[in-house]
Amino acid sequence: MKSYSLDIAGYNIAIQSAEDGPDLVPAPRFASSICPATASDLLISVHEGHFPLPISATRVFHAPLVEELDGIRSTMDDNFWSVFRSGEDLFIETSLPFSDEGNRTLLKFSLNNLQWDLWIESGSATVDPLEYPLDSLILYYLTTINGDIMIHASGVNHSGKGYIFSGISGTGKSTMAKIWGMSGSRVIHDDRLVIKNISGKYTMFNTPVYENDSPRKSEVNRIFLIGHGQKNRLEPVQGARAVSLVLANCIQHNWNREIIARLVGAVSMMCSSLPVAKLDFKPDREIIDLVLYYE
Amino acid sequence: MNSKSVLSHSSNVVTRKTGNEYVLVPVTDNIADMDSVFTLNETGAFIWEQIDGTREISEIIGLLIAEFDTDRQTAETDLMDFIRNMGSLLIIKQD
Repeated sequence: MKSYSLDIAGYNIAIQSAEDGPDLVPAPRFASSICPATASDLLISVHEGHFPLPISATRVFHAPLVEELDGIRSTMDDNFWSVFRSGEDLFIETSLPFSDEGNRTLLKFSLNNLQWDLWIESGSATVDPLEYPLDSLILYYLTTINGDIMIHASGVNHSGKGYIFSGISGTGKSTMAKIWGMSGSRVIHDDRLVIKNISGKYTMFNTPVYENDSPRKSEVNRIFLIGHGQKNRLEPVQGARAVSLVLANCIQHNWNREIIARLVGAVSMMCSSLPVAKLDFKPDREIIDLVLYYE
Repeated sequence: MNSKSVLSHSSNVVTRKTGNEYVLVPVTDNIADMDSVFTLNETGAFIWEQIDGTREISEIIGLLIAEFDTDRQTAETDLMDFIRNMGSLLIIKQD
């Protein structure tokens, strides 16, 4: 197809093939997120081929490709993706590690303009314009522009109450989601959430990671910073400490003071509105009783 | 450093006041280090706000005594602890 729109984390993202551009074939994980083309929050024009970085572009951030196997993290590539700046224009150059062709891509974007351009060197007549890591990178900058929060966390809705369980890799996010899911709670996601302040209420959204990941959301009532423990233990945290602990779990690129200030501001406001607690837990149903006791 | 030394904030920090406290995010080579975020309690927040690039250490000690109705030794200890802990986010101009 030549164009389609996605509902991801409440954003309407319109993707269109540029003139003479490739056919667009979204991956199956986006199938349930395809939505009617309405007023879009972001428009991405997709081009096939090479777009050279401006000579004036300077690299401001780069990320390695890290793979984790059995809890051991290994760096597979020091230069997985990079952010470049040239005046007001920003560029992300990345490879697509799960693409058969390992295509190079370049995204031209801006924090002040919501019409972006994406070039994919595929040599193919069809492309998936949101192949990993493009989906995550695009969503990250969209949340940043809107003052929203992208966080390493699982989230559930239990009897109308939304709970976020946040932590870095290995702290038990997906385990927690599974425990609550088996008890009948609605799991919003088990690994990554977008949090928005909508008219004074904080709402968590999933993002398409797995096949048939349909859009899900829930109001947020409590935030837990989780870790494995010998016994279940809940410790409320407040103020600046709560902010610093939540910040450490947010997805962030941190190369721009304005972006940092926006994130710190958004997290600070959220932590002043919602109860935050550290939560050590054993992986069984007793943790649900403890959380509900505090509710 | 002595009582005439003047303190100022490093430019390599993003600050946010939350209630009576502060969150300070160090920024090195334009990259924020979210794993090394500082938090300041009420006393630390007061000291941070008195540091303006012109006040001498002795003046800040005097302000601490007045604000918290404390004795000089406690105020000096609080300020020295603050400077020791927050040194990477401060510029100390010697007399």
